[in-house]
Amino acid sequence: MKRREMIRASLFAGAAAAVRPPLSAAQSTAMPSELTPAQSGVDASKDLSAPGWKPLFLDEHQNETLIILSDLIIPATDTPGAKEALVNRYIDLVLAAESSEAQRSFLNSLGYLDGESIRRYRAAFRYLKREEQDDLLHALAYPRTASGWSGEADATPDLGHAHFEALKQRIATAYYNSQIGTKELGWDGAFAHGPYEGCTHPEGNHK
Amino acid sequence: MSNYLFLVEDPLQQTYDAIVVGSGATGGWAAKQLAEAGLKVALLEAGRAVTPKEFTEHMPAYKLKYRDHSPEIVRTRPIQKQCYACMEYNYEWFVNDLENPYSTPAGKPFTWQRLRILGGRSMVWGRQSYRMSDNDLKAASRDGYGDDWPLSYADLAPYYDIVENYVGISGAAEGNEMLPDGKFLPPMKMSCGEIRLRERVKAKFGYTVTIGRTAILTQNHKGRLQCHYCGPCERGCSTFSYFSSPFTTVKDALASGNCTLITNAVVSQVNMDNAQNKASGVTYVDRLTRQVKEVRGKTVILCAQALESTRILLNSSTREYPSGLANSSGALGHYLMDHVVGGGASGRLADFKVLPDANEPARPNGIYIPRFRNTPTSGKHPRFIRGYGFQGGAGADFNFDAEGYGASFKKAVKEGVYSISMGAFGESLARWDNYCEIDRGLKDAWGIPALRISMTHGDNEHALMEDASATAAEMLEAAGAKDIKVQANVEMPGMAIHELGTARMGTDPKKSVLNPYNQAHDVKNLFVMDGASFVSSACQNPTLSMMAITVRACDHLIDRFHKTDV
Ligand SMILES: Cc1cc2nc3c(=O)[nH]c(=O)nc-3n(C[C@H](O)[C@H](O)[C@H](O)COP(=O)(O)OP(=O)(O)OC[C@H]3O[C@@H](n4cnc5c(N)ncnc54)[C@H](O)[C@@H]3O)c2cc1C
Ligand code: SF4
Repeated sequence: MKRREMIRASLFAGAAAAVRPPLSAAQSTAMPSELTPAQSGVDASKDLSAPGWKPLFLDEHQNETLIILSDLIIPATDTPGAKEALVNRYIDLVLAAESSEAQRSFLNSLGYLDGESIRRYRAAFRYLKREEQDDLLHALAYPRTASGWSGEADATPDLGHAHFEALKQRIATAYYNSQIGTKELGWDGAFAHGPYEGCTHPEGNHK
Repeated sequence: MSNYLFLVEDPLQQTYDAIVVGSGATGGWAAKQLAEAGLKVALLEAGRAVTPKEFTEHMPAYKLKYRDHSPEIVRTRPIQKQCYACMEYNYEWFVNDLENPYSTPAGKPFTWQRLRILGGRSMVWGRQSYRMSDNDLKAASRDGYGDDWPLSYADLAPYYDIVENYVGISGAAEGNEMLPDGKFLPPMKMSCGEIRLRERVKAKFGYTVTIGRTAILTQNHKGRLQCHYCGPCERGCSTFSYFSSPFTTVKDALASGNCTLITNAVVSQVNMDNAQNKASGVTYVDRLTRQVKEVRGKTVILCAQALESTRILLNSSTREYPSGLANSSGALGHYLMDHVVGGGASGRLADFKVLPDANEPARPNGIYIPRFRNTPTSGKHPRFIRGYGFQGGAGADFNFDAEGYGASFKKAVKEGVYSISMGAFGESLARWDNYCEIDRGLKDAWGIPALRISMTHGDNEHALMEDASATAAEMLEAAGAKDIKVQANVEMPGMAIHELGTARMGTDPKKSVLNPYNQAHDVKNLFVMDGASFVSSACQNPTLSMMAITVRACDHLIDRFHKTDV
């Protein structure tokens, strides 16, 4: 590299450093000391709620569909639901980092939902009325039982139910691992709750 | 003058009384015992140092970017992620599989789960701690398979005492013939479901269900605080309540003033003084700079964990020992064992109306059912030899598997399910054809030839797991469980993370690598003090026994050293 180029390069490096946000102490030690972000104290809990969030992997239609679906699977009740917990954003983040196989399998399940929706109602899932969405999910949510009178087990795999379960699993995991989900389970935020007391019942009388 | 001072201070310019390779469960003990006895010790560790600042046991998952689904684990640790303890919190403690390769023959998968960091696997271990008995050590003369250990329970018992007294093992004495009692701290409590299982299994089968014996403090002990039941120990413990070597044995070794710790030292081979047939030290590659360095010592002690210690010996061949150092027997690398797992059952105790509670103290321990097959009182089983023990637990959990969706699903999750489960750890028979060797075509990131590991579980292991599944289901049924699901597979070797053997001890130098004091038959100042020395695997989690064996071997070495016999 020629001297002039070197000066230019160093100027550019300086400029880049000036616009980049300064590394937190934790981040700057992460590399050389070989810690996981968690071990170096990085708190990523606010990442997903950053203003101007954009999906990394999902397209707009998929993202909107996922928001609606997650809201149906874990709705707000007296506590917030999956939508408030930004479950779609977390799933998008994980998908973006996953294998193409895992990505394809997720999109397949989401696509199946739209396919069924179009077959029955001639519109994609996100455009259905709330009752229609509910009816459709209800049909998929419970495993098909073998027809009682023939005595024969139904040999065809229950595809709809499998896709439903795959989507539900993702949504439930995302929700219950979020801060909102942890509160939903009743965690008070303390990490120690005294010694484990175990069973206090008299002998032979455990319920 | 300043030159002279430099020489004295440079750790590589000294000749140590003992070089200990590996700072994990066994290496920590070797360093402590030898340094406290006055020997000058160099403790070489392939990984970096570890500090309490990086512990994450109190960090909720929502603070993690991927909430425990980090793509970094998938990318750099495709094998390590098979270990339940390798997670987004702590994956840097586990080896990078891309830098630390090994190979397996087609159709013989083996999962090698390991850490390269100060403390090794003691940082994340499951802490279950059980003694072996003469039923294990002398099994061969009872059922005719394999070889007896060249030591008996009476030889080991005093060392179990020493280790338990120091480590702090909580547990309950049961007077069981298969599982000798130890020096216990108060036992942890059992849940209602577990007590019911204990009562019913005793009544129906006559077997013992006991609380897990665990290397966790239930009261303050030797300067460490008792457990506060936060739960996820494999992420570190800020009160040092579970036993890990960096904050106990290694700390003591360093405090003695006689131990020099060299981290980032990836040992590639033991060096020999061929004229005297003695080890003269070791060569290592600096993990960060990749510089090759040497340390000299009067004795060399390998504690790098069974497969790594054997790899070092295989990589140290000389003209005198062409098939691996101290391998005149040819047994080096052979008789690899790992407990067989995969058999068990789970179910629901539907009549228990306890709600799950996110604020319940999290007991980092389960229950244990000591081996009940092929015991002196049970007599011989028609289909297999040896046996298995069960680990398990029962309690109210959130029901994330609840059916349906919507508000009713949300409610069902919180109503929970009272589940009960048990899984078996079975004895892995010592077989010549389960072995490791050097893969001539494969090197790690430091240029050190890597292992090819060849192991399968045999018919006996399969029969053990089959019986374990059926028996677990019967026991759960006796406890009143519903929806019992039987788990009846045999997981690939390595999955128990209890690799043992490959440099077995024995009295006959033609059939074993080490003598009963972990000293190489061929090279008197060379020792292997980790699980490589095991003659049989028993079915108990092995680390307590490894540590007792290390301390015993150190006693012998110290004795010999003072008589200048090594
Ligand atoms: C998740 C998990 C759960 C477990 N649960 C239990 C349990 O409940 N009960 C039980 O008894 N056991 C359990 N184990 C097994 C237990 O951890 C091991 O048996 C024990 O740690 C072995 O001790 P060690 O000293 O031989 O090796 P380790 O503790 O693994 O230490 C070996 C050390 O040697 C270093 N090293 C390796 N190669 C080199 C080299 N070439 N140069 C320099 N240093 C080197 C490593 O970096 C490491 O620090 C578990 C293991 C894991 C991973
Ligand atoms: S459960 Fe106990 S031993 Fe485990 S990390 Fe928490 S305090 Fe430490």
